[in-house]
Amino acid sequence: MNLVRAELERLGARRFVQLMVVLLVLAFGVTALTNVAISHQPSPSEMTVAQQKADSERREMDLLHERCLARQRGELPAEPFDGSYYPADCSEVDPGLRERLPVAADHLVGVFTFSKDTRPLLYFLIAFLVLFGFLVGASYIGADLNSGGVVNLLLWQPRRIAVLGAKLGTLMAAVLLLSLLATVAYLATFWMIALVDGHVGPVDAEFWSDLGAVWARGLVVVLLATVIGFAIATLGRHTSAALGAVAAYAVVWELGARLVLEILEVSRPDQLMLSSYLGAWLAGRAQFWDRNACTDPFAGFCDGTYTLTWPSGLVVLLLLAGGLTAAAFAVFRRRDLL
Amino acid sequence: MSAVIEIEGLRKTFHSLRRGRRVAVDGFDLLVEAGQVHGFLGPNGSGKTTTLRALLGLVRADDGRMRVLGEPAPDRLPRVAGRVGAIVESPQFFGNFTGHRTLRLLARAGGVPTSRIDEVLEQVGLRDRGHERVKGYSLGMKQRLAVASALLKSPELLILDEPANGLDPAGIREMRDLVRTLADSGVTVLLSSHILAEIQLICDHVTIISRGRRVAAGRVDEVLAGFDRHEVLVRVDEPDRAAELLRAAGLTVTEHPDHLVVHGVDDGATVSRTLGEQGAWVRELTPLRPDLESVFLELTGPAGHPAVPRQVDGSPESGADARDGEIDLDRRGVDA
Repeated sequence: MNLVRAELERLGARRFVQLMVVLLVLAFGVTALTNVAISHQPSPSEMTVAQQKADSERREMDLLHERCLARQRGELPAEPFDGSYYPADCSEVDPGLRERLPVAADHLVGVFTFSKDTRPLLYFLIAFLVLFGFLVGASYIGADLNSGGVVNLLLWQPRRIAVLGAKLGTLMAAVLLLSLLATVAYLATFWMIALVDGHVGPVDAEFWSDLGAVWARGLVVVLLATVIGFAIATLGRHTSAALGAVAAYAVVWELGARLVLEILEVSRPDQLMLSSYLGAWLAGRAQFWDRNACTDPFAGFCDGTYTLTWPSGLVVLLLLAGGLTAAAFAVFRRRDLL
Repeated sequence: MSAVIEIEGLRKTFHSLRRGRRVAVDGFDLLVEAGQVHGFLGPNGSGKTTTLRALLGLVRADDGRMRVLGEPAPDRLPRVAGRVGAIVESPQFFGNFTGHRTLRLLARAGGVPTSRIDEVLEQVGLRDRGHERVKGYSLGMKQRLAVASALLKSPELLILDEPANGLDPAGIREMRDLVRTLADSGVTVLLSSHILAEIQLICDHVTIISRGRRVAAGRVDEVLAGFDRHEVLVRVDEPDRAAELLRAAGLTVTEHPDHLVVHGVDDGATVSRTLGEQGAWVRELTPLRPDLESVFLELTGPAGHPAVPRQVDGSPESGADARDGEIDLDRRGVDA
């Protein structure tokens, strides 16, 4: 407990951490101010027009669905006179099965709408927190290893695993706490902007549930990025090791190897890329098209798409973070600290 | 007296892709008993710091047996860590922390009452500078802070690796007084230093390491006595005649421009009597006693050509020389 308290104080006192928090607040402020600047509270007439447009859009969707069903029942000709497209499976155009129905907020121009705009803004916050977690995680141990801080600590607490574990645990707890606080402040601010200078929009239980799911998935990525940054810097003894490893991976594998795999016509190259699994985890699923799946022009219909689901994304990310962490602890346990 | 530090047959080899294999410590032995102020000497690269790091669990030894305060090291080091204060080489601290805050964090990590912080800052002379940022400290002040961190635990055993690094003459004297005060209060001190005169002044025992091996160990005066060649410096008005008279008396004499050195003389009176009986009156008669520096250089440095710079002590290519040449006046402990 003493070790954790000491580590927490060290972490909070680090200039880099303070700088990153300031940057987070700045980015947050700029985003909020931009939205305030471009938004205005919609007038009743704007709301009426937007509502009418949304109602009209819904009616068109209902009509399309009804015509599709009527065509299936044979009440309408198979080839419609108006040239409309009707799918073979009418559930594809069933408004009740759509993820969301048109609402007035979709037709408000220059208005910040909480229900519509929060999701992409939350992704922005998550992206910043991922960067924060990775860089702080890497520099926290990297700088300590490089400066002799770890050696100082080990002279007091000659338990290597406990010392490294306390560092990682403290770091994770701090990043988790900061993420929670930042998210609450972020959402509260945009809620206030929507109330005062925009439009809240329909925010039912389903909305909050969806937003919560996005945030929870993002938070997992933030924590995994923190662990990965910490683990690579521990393995490489320097903060720069983590930065170098990520840059090298992105250039060599995600760009270079992807090109080579495509030239060699290897099937499903996206399946070999970490970014695919990250996308699948964050979005719930990710669909890719395999250009090498449908090479026979006489084979008839061929669906070359394939899907990565969030469980597979989570497993890959956990294996990566877990493997790196286990390696970092194993190496640190036996390493000569010079 | 009980052994506080026991090292027996310590071996450590570093492997590097670029520099290959380098033997840092090669079967080194060390014994420090309770209450000693023990000097640990060796040239650069001789294995001093590697030995201390291995003892403190920072470097994994390839072979050998170590005990600290009776506990096997490094496996049981956590049991005694609270009783051992140590600094290894020049510790680095976060520049934007104050000295006080640096110590507070260490005290907190080690479960030491924070009331100790002001006491140790006072002890090392940083009382009035403790609330300044470390990045504004001089090298000597950082060294004092490092010593303060080692003292925080009120240790029974203090291991100081080059504590005088960066200190000015007054600081060196203060450090010497501090070590003496600690020793008088019962703290056992293992002190590694390059400042041989300081070691000779502070320490009662010494171990000298060269090329990873112990080449001398024991009480300082006994180690020095082992190198006493019983030489006497003689100044007379007629050196040529005096040299002839001494040689005629069976003594070995080396002539220098302004003095003579007589070898193998147990008692200076022999020289004055021999010369006086022949009417050659002695103006100066000084016994030449070895100091730690001359002993150290003799034990650790090859007698190179003066024009050729002396090289950093490397790993032994053949281990026989150092072992055969070891001066060990205190073999009791390690085997006991």
